[in-house]
Amino acid sequence: MSTPKRIVNALAMPVVTLVVLQTLCLLNGQSVISNMKSFDNFIVYTAIVMITTMALSINLNSGRFDFSLGSMAGLSCIIGAKITYGILSGGNGSAPLMLCISLVAGVILGLISGLTYCTLRLPPIIVSLGVTLVYEGIMYTITGGKYVMSEVQNPSMSGLTGTWVYAALIIAAVLAFMIITFDKTAFGYDYNALKSGQKVAVATGINEVKNTLICYGISGGLMGIVGTLNAARNTTINGGQLNFGSIAIMFTAFLPMFIAGYIGRFTNEKIGFLLAAVCMSLLNSTFAVFSNSVNATMQSIINAVLLVVFLIYLNNNDLIKRLLKA
Amino acid sequence: MTDKRKTNIKQKLISLLPIAALLVLFAVFLVVVSINGYRLDMYLKIVFNEALVLAVVATGAIFIYTLGTFDISLGASTLFAATMGVMTYNKTQSLILMIVAIFAVGITASLLNSVLASVFHIPPFVTTVAMMSVLSALSAQIITSYGGALGGISIPSEVVKPFDNIGFKAMLLIAFFAICFFVFQFTKAGRRMKFVGGNPICAELTGIKASKYTILAFVMAGIGIGLGAFLTLCYTPSVTTTTASSIGMNIFIAIVFGGMPISGGARSKIYAALIGGFSYILLNDILEIVIDSSAAYGITQVISAVFFLAVVYVTSMNYRTALLPR
Repeated sequence: MSTPKRIVNALAMPVVTLVVLQTLCLLNGQSVISNMKSFDNFIVYTAIVMITTMALSINLNSGRFDFSLGSMAGLSCIIGAKITYGILSGGNGSAPLMLCISLVAGVILGLISGLTYCTLRLPPIIVSLGVTLVYEGIMYTITGGKYVMSEVQNPSMSGLTGTWVYAALIIAAVLAFMIITFDKTAFGYDYNALKSGQKVAVATGINEVKNTLICYGISGGLMGIVGTLNAARNTTINGGQLNFGSIAIMFTAFLPMFIAGYIGRFTNEKIGFLLAAVCMSLLNSTFAVFSNSVNATMQSIINAVLLVVFLIYLNNNDLIKRLLKA
Repeated sequence: MTDKRKTNIKQKLISLLPIAALLVLFAVFLVVVSINGYRLDMYLKIVFNEALVLAVVATGAIFIYTLGTFDISLGASTLFAATMGVMTYNKTQSLILMIVAIFAVGITASLLNSVLASVFHIPPFVTTVAMMSVLSALSAQIITSYGGALGGISIPSEVVKPFDNIGFKAMLLIAFFAICFFVFQFTKAGRRMKFVGGNPICAELTGIKASKYTILAFVMAGIGIGLGAFLTLCYTPSVTTTTASSIGMNIFIAIVFGGMPISGGARSKIYAALIGGFSYILLNDILEIVIDSSAAYGITQVISAVFFLAVVYVTSMNYRTALLPR
């Protein structure tokens, strides 16, 4: 496939999404992104979805289902918020410091999760269930089951998501990091080899445990960033998420992950994550426009239906084409 | 004694561990309740009622897990079935229609999952994620519309009072378990489900239609959902947005706790859910009694998760692989 054709195909999905949603909004006399505030929200949400989807796909692409992403996001940003508040008391520089601490905490939590998996050698889905419960329990113990508010309600945190600039910088940094790490390093080559053929890759001498630990570490670090962005956006962190209350965050990443997989046929998969996140963010902005008529129930149903319809299309592509030709 | 015989004895001992864990937990529970001077009959009733719903829904779900897949929407389906049951009773004042509605909704929701998976070739776990979102959202909408955000919806307690006794519930549990045991152990369908779960390609090559058994597995799970929803209403004749919310994930734990591998196949055990369900609830209740403080919920969950991982680690010693499991 030629390069221009690849670009057109890769951009088709977000462009079509924009056209359809903008038309819907225009029919109601509005626009998907009507002012600077909604543009800021659009970019911030794009960052959150893109990074969550990347974190989910790192392990899921290798057959490792990880339920602990939400708990890692929650616990890492609670640790980040508490330490930052202890140092700066909500003063200048709180947001960047919290972002850094949450990132490091996320990496450590990811490594602990990976180490548990590699040591116990149990199926990753089971380990992630245990790890989720442990992290949720720690979160609850630290916060007493309450919302963390005073630690994240300050001008610095408001500024993090109050403008599109920081979110855009985070998107660029994460995208560059992911492309370089997974496509240009020895770790990335090993990751792809293990993903495609675990047995053969291990037989050729690739250190699977080391590679897996790095994957979990990166995934945790990414969730640390997501946790901080969510804390800044919601101006609170829910510390009382017991009994798998934290896993909902990963379900929001399923649809963009499949969309990214489709776009990834025409371009780099990581660019696919960004474009898929743009599609989801456009949808989220449209929900905001129609917030009076489309309530949370409708939004959940629309998201679920879109997920199923898209997967029906993806998994029955050839059949649909044959039917259309006939 | 030959090495093979030693290995066989070791494997048999390990396979008995879940039952041993249940007995030990029960003994500890009796001691803990006695030491604290609580009423044993009351606590036994609480444990039985909590574990009953989990064990029933999880026993139905074993058929899905045997196929090597999982259903994350079981909790939401139970909530939705109970919600529709309450709505039906409040409209018709008929207990029979309420029971019919509960089972019809439970089986339909489960069937919809299997049809989407079988006919449109969508990974079953993705369809169940979508279904979970839709059913939770619909239930929340109905409950908050008719009962308010906190109050929930309910039926008069005297309607289900005749069924709220341990004898009747135990009879239902035994009857359902007996049916599941028969289908699982003594029918062609049960054997073929294990074959499909163990080696889907080989099963297909021998002429077994996986889609047929996927539908059957989801129907069995649907019956479990219906029964679980009915028993939930017998215990508490009101439904809130959090009713059965933890069941979906606790089923994972119950099944693995009971000694069944999450990968399904020939090593699947129909009794795993029953043993695991009661063990997990006993463990949680023991910890809640010992650490008697609402602030300690987090610590309780951490200990419970560590215990879960330890038990699964020991019980899975029979099938450890050189490569990291996926």
